[in-house]
Amino acid sequence: MNNIDLNKNKVQLQGYLTEKLPKLLFGIGAVFLFISFLFLYNDPHHAMFSYLNSFTFFLSLSLGALFIVLIFYLTRAGWGIVIRRVPENLMMNIGLMGILFIPILFGLHDLYHWTHLKDVAADPILQSKQPYLNTTFFIIRALLFFSIWIWLTRKFFKGSTSQDSNAKPIITAKLQKASTYGMLIFALSFSFGVFDWIMSLTPHWYSTIFGIYMFAGATVCVLATTSLLLMLIRRFGYLKDIVTIEHFHDIGKLMYGFNVFWAYIAFSQYFLIWYANVPEETVYYLQHFKGSWNTVAIILAIGHFGIPFILFMSRHVKRNLKTHCIMAIWLILMHILDLYWVIMPNIAKKGIHITIPDITCFLGIGGIYFGLFFYRFKNTLLIPINDPRLSESLKFQNH
Amino acid sequence: MSENCFGILAEFKSPHDLLSAAEKLRGKGYKNFDAYSPFPIHGMDEATGIKPSILGWIVLVGGALGLSAGFGLQTWVSTSAYKIIVSGKPLFSYQAFVPVTFELMVLFAAFFTVFGMFALNKLPMHYHPLLKSKNFESVTSHGYFIAIESSDPQFNSAENVLIEVGGSNIEKIEE
Repeated sequence: MNNIDLNKNKVQLQGYLTEKLPKLLFGIGAVFLFISFLFLYNDPHHAMFSYLNSFTFFLSLSLGALFIVLIFYLTRAGWGIVIRRVPENLMMNIGLMGILFIPILFGLHDLYHWTHLKDVAADPILQSKQPYLNTTFFIIRALLFFSIWIWLTRKFFKGSTSQDSNAKPIITAKLQKASTYGMLIFALSFSFGVFDWIMSLTPHWYSTIFGIYMFAGATVCVLATTSLLLMLIRRFGYLKDIVTIEHFHDIGKLMYGFNVFWAYIAFSQYFLIWYANVPEETVYYLQHFKGSWNTVAIILAIGHFGIPFILFMSRHVKRNLKTHCIMAIWLILMHILDLYWVIMPNIAKKGIHITIPDITCFLGIGGIYFGLFFYRFKNTLLIPINDPRLSESLKFQNH
Repeated sequence: MSENCFGILAEFKSPHDLLSAAEKLRGKGYKNFDAYSPFPIHGMDEATGIKPSILGWIVLVGGALGLSAGFGLQTWVSTSAYKIIVSGKPLFSYQAFVPVTFELMVLFAAFFTVFGMFALNKLPMHYHPLLKSKNFESVTSHGYFIAIESSDPQFNSAENVLIEVGGSNIEKIEE
């Protein structure tokens, strides 16, 4: 185990994954984004929601990845050094998400009821929220959140990649220090970001736990995505004896744990609102339990929590790459459904109503997103070869 | 061998020697032996051929029991034994039962974990025969030991085998 060949060729992606695949994904992304744009032009009201939904999914991936990197440094995690480059690369897409946020700024009127000044004037609740929920402040906050995230992700990515060439352990120590306040800033900006962009879709409603609810789902999803990407990279012959079943097992454990955490938070939010029965709060669930949305809610309770809780509890499931893969795909699908259930009832009020832009926006943003992900690996090694805790990670074993 | 013999104890020089000795013993078909070291050694579970503990299943039973007890008790109390309408909600409000159900599940699972562990480890055990050995005291600081127990079918040749796999300070331990 000790004499693993860390030859640069073996930890540097080459060929199809960094040459043809990014081009292919960029192509797919461009085509589908163009189709989405046509829909946006025809029926902006519905298509904007589809766009926001897909945007939120990929934003949650990048922010979840930022969280994983921060928590690795914060806890001085030794086991995960060899898998860190995948979340590091995912989080760097936050800049892309910043650019993809611009169409939302043009669709504020279609998305957010509180931008309709006439309605606000007639609505005492919205009036009292106006000092916070107004277009100018909304844009300022968005700018602030994205600058924080771009600053944080660049700081950690640059530190980590510069260590590959200069091999200074002090970088790890510095980033550990930065991860402390970084985590605080991340938690606040994430929470307030989703308050702005998702919770304010139902402007009367509020839930202080909503940020954590989104965060829990995002973390499950990014862990599952990391697993799948690592499996793909391994399939192309890289990292074979570097990322082992032990690392997958640990990703699986975290995935499982955060999935239970998601259920806990989701229920807590529902439970308190159900108990208190205050109209301002129950409005959200009345809307989200209407018609076929109720079925979706039940599918989420069973599919996002019940089934994975029982099926994926065993260590054998997490230690078998096939079942691990199924687990990851299942949880990603459930996260997509969860976001769909949170966002889309605001436009499809009578029940679930899947439209073409729902799919084209997802493929469009997804194509660009993962194209950029693989493209970045052209100049980035697959593992941080000079991290002081790398040998600990290589030797890692579960008990 | 005498009736009241616990087994044969042998000392090894390093964790590495201990691991390879355990592997060799298992290879020779020994079953009832155990390795003792001051700290956990990676791969020792496989080397000694210890099966994964069944504790997980015991905990699962405990959790399931707690779950049904918690949910059942609340359902029975609020729908038939002591009907009280709380804040205008139906008598059978399963949402309200979740926290207590969850807590009881955790409590039962925790009890089953602790007492299951006690039972599987045969605790409380007031003394262990190996503690009679003066030499064995170093197991808490720097000693690595293997003891083949007298219940092993191949126990008769245990002494020679332990020397063969590199053990020293061979000692017979009384029950």
